[in-house]
Amino acid sequence: MLKLIIGIVLGAVLSVTVIFQTAGSFMFEERESPFTVEETVARIQQNVEKAGNGWALFGLRYPARPVEATGVSILPVMAIEACSPKYSGPILKDDKTRFLSLLMPCKISVYKKSDGKVYIGTMNAGLIGKFFGPLVAETMEHVVADQKNFLEFDPSQPAPPLILPKATTGGGGGAAAGGC
Amino acid sequence: MKANTILRIAAWISCVLVSSAQAAPVAPTLTDKLPAVAKGTTDHSKLKELQKPFKTGPEVTKACLECHNEAANQVQHTKHWTWEVVDAATGKKLGKKNIINNFCTTTISNEEDCMACHAGYGWHDKTFDFSKQENVDCLICHDSTGTYRKLPGDAGHPVYERKEFPHGSGKFVEAVDLNKVAQTVQLPSRRNCGSCHFFGAGANGTKHGDLDTSLIEPGKHLDVHMDAKGLNFSCVTCHKTTDHQVSGSRYEMTASRTGPATPRGKYDEHPAACQSCHSDKPHHENPLLMERLNAHTDKLACQTCHIPEYARNSIGTEKVWDWSTATTMDADGKRFAYKDSAGRRAFDSKKGNWTWDSFLIPEYRWFNGKVDFKVVGDKIDPTHVVEINSPQGSANEPGARIWPFKVHRGKQAYDPELKNLLIVHTAAEDDTALWHNYNWPKAIKAGMEVAGLPWSGKYDFVSTEMSWPITHMVAPKHDAVGCAQCHQNDGRLKGIAGVWLPGQDRNGLIDTLGWLMVGLASLGVLIHGGARVCVLCRPKKNEGKDEQ
Amino acid sequence: MSTNRIFLYKRYERFWHWSQAALVIFMLITGFEIHGSYEWFGFHRAADLHTFTAWTLLALWAFTIFWQFTTGEWRQYIPTLKKVDAMIRYYVLGIFTNAPNPFQKSTVKKHNPLQRLAYLALLAFVSPIIWGSGLFYLFYAYWKDGAIGAYLDLPMVAMIHTVGAFMMLTFFIVHVYLTTTGHTPLAHIKTMITGWEEEEQH
Repeated sequence: MLKLIIGIVLGAVLSVTVIFQTAGSFMFEERESPFTVEETVARIQQNVEKAGNGWALFGLRYPARPVEATGVSILPVMAIEACSPKYSGPILKDDKTRFLSLLMPCKISVYKKSDGKVYIGTMNAGLIGKFFGPLVAETMEHVVADQKNFLEFDPSQPAPPLILPKATTGGGGGAAAGGC
Repeated sequence: MKANTILRIAAWISCVLVSSAQAAPVAPTLTDKLPAVAKGTTDHSKLKELQKPFKTGPEVTKACLECHNEAANQVQHTKHWTWEVVDAATGKKLGKKNIINNFCTTTISNEEDCMACHAGYGWHDKTFDFSKQENVDCLICHDSTGTYRKLPGDAGHPVYERKEFPHGSGKFVEAVDLNKVAQTVQLPSRRNCGSCHFFGAGANGTKHGDLDTSLIEPGKHLDVHMDAKGLNFSCVTCHKTTDHQVSGSRYEMTASRTGPATPRGKYDEHPAACQSCHSDKPHHENPLLMERLNAHTDKLACQTCHIPEYARNSIGTEKVWDWSTATTMDADGKRFAYKDSAGRRAFDSKKGNWTWDSFLIPEYRWFNGKVDFKVVGDKIDPTHVVEINSPQGSANEPGARIWPFKVHRGKQAYDPELKNLLIVHTAAEDDTALWHNYNWPKAIKAGMEVAGLPWSGKYDFVSTEMSWPITHMVAPKHDAVGCAQCHQNDGRLKGIAGVWLPGQDRNGLIDTLGWLMVGLASLGVLIHGGARVCVLCRPKKNEGKDEQ
Repeated sequence: MSTNRIFLYKRYERFWHWSQAALVIFMLITGFEIHGSYEWFGFHRAADLHTFTAWTLLALWAFTIFWQFTTGEWRQYIPTLKKVDAMIRYYVLGIFTNAPNPFQKSTVKKHNPLQRLAYLALLAFVSPIIWGSGLFYLFYAYWKDGAIGAYLDLPMVAMIHTVGAFMMLTFFIVHVYLTTTGHTPLAHIKTMITGWEEEEQH
């Protein structure tokens, strides 16, 4: 009997550890991009702009710049912010889910690693949505479907120009277009 | 109460200290009544020689030479003037005048444009007089105003009259105020050297990858020595210059200076090498690490670890120049051009296709400082990628180190019958110039005639590459390449011969046999142990079981 | 069944054994990471820790050699072939039939004849391989340009070091297993911790 309890406890501890160790990789996704950092960002921006459903670019941030300003050499990171009032509206209107404004606007991160390759980092909005009730879950399903299109690239199309935010301050970023 | 007293005493003491520090009278010194100290020993704005109105560059030079009467002759002995370097080992004539590069390809027949970066005036063609002293351009290196500009098309003369540049762009370049520039000369700053070296191959950052305008006022993250708010080195701090001879050259590089640091001084002591100041045992971290890092210096150039990426800014650098698509016109037969996502040139009917990128990982290879250059007329093997320049050296040479390189790849015109690269007349506004008439045969014919070389009348495009040692944009020491970036299976030095990297290199046989031995031992132990457990588990042998 | 307690391992001996065990295990872990077999600490830290542990172990050995000779305990490692056949027979057969262990430990003979041979092999063969190559590895910069450099190069040193590491790992596995062959599976380990051997009387 004791052995059984010990076994169950050990099993539980092990499961929690495994979940804890791997949870991070469920919440975020990373994929390689075939383009340069700038071109990847520009192509995603182009996709956001033609996505419909109210999607608009919200800003473009350079999280590595404030690090550079402290005298540290660091590889580039660009964070695209996009927002759709169609999806954010209902969540922000509901008192119970307003705090999810923390996750807004939607972010897609593009960065280079020391292997010289360019990566795209996204949040697993579908999984996160499932924790906060049916309204959020359903909205996030739509967001996920649209986000998938943001990352569809057609290499036969010429590289579009980067859409730079109007105000560029170190680490900051302004609204490139209306949106939310 | 007690604490209060102590506080009060402390406050009183600090008051006395502060007030005494403030009140301490500064004794008047002998220098008090003198004017503030100027930069340099001569205020050029007061010299009468520089008061007369200057119309041309050579007029300024004549004025300079009235005092600095040896300067022109000194400059004329440098490659900034001759654009020629004779390879001491082979006797081969190198230098911009003689080699072909992977970008604009050659200066021959294109002097009007290329000589915008010549430290002289009026090199239109091969009739240029290299002994005429007033043709030396003092101001390009000594201008302090940042207004002295020399544009392609003027054969090295500065802008005398306000003009549109680039042609048809609607942007105008102001005429240079030669008097002002002449009266405010200075020792060369990063901006002076950069006015040519940052713009090699026609645009900011194109050629080197470790030299661009971001180095005019760089942050510490970009270059620890040139850090404008820190050490603020100018180019000549390392490229120590004596009698106008600038030390450090890509034609005769110092790949592996050894021994202790040497004081600054002689130009021929290779002070442009890192080791000149840092010695070849530069690491002073904790004893364990220091020993190991210093042991790396016999295989690696300093730059290999301390420049983790080059073109570490949004300017970036050019990776590919493909001339084979040049002269492609749009649907209306007109010249067209487009840019990449970062706003860098990607195509122009004049010049073909380009690929640019930033934050690039260098390619690594052994290098002993010697470089084999293709010069005009050299034979090539078009079945292989033509190495325009080939860095020499191998693992077993004591003077060779593993160096980081920017390898620029391209395609350029060659003669498929005579098997040599072609001289193409690109620049200038005449009927035969490629950028004017978009006609390859005419441009090649004109170029080869000027070069005095035969041409079969045929042309095609061959893949070429050119290697540029990376040596600027030295990162702060904490941002050097980490150990694991090479010491791993798929590391940066993969494929480099003659080094053994723990973490990357292992003997397959030893590993197989080793793991086999470990596996067999484990298996034997398991079998032996399993058998014991079975025996012990038999009911009648109860002693052992109870204790378990 | 009664037990007879004898005090087998002195305090320093036990300290030496366990600290050495910890250091060797740690060196195996960091060593095989440096070798590229897996990634845990990261190469840089693994290399730092491996080197630091090596120096610690060398210091421990310096004290231990001193201790061995001042106490005369070094005699424990003098090899003997007497009863080796009996020991082998015991491990191959006797152990399964609960036959008595042919070797009785005493304060003057702490190790059975097979153990003596194994430890001697470790001391005279594996140790020189691993320490010799390790020190050559560490001081590579000092000999590569000298006379030794003509006969030896880094790949060779590295390979010898790896061979030594595999031997050490194999020894470790077998050694740990053999600790379970006392009259109870944990008896030997208990002895090594407390110093007291509980001899089973038949």
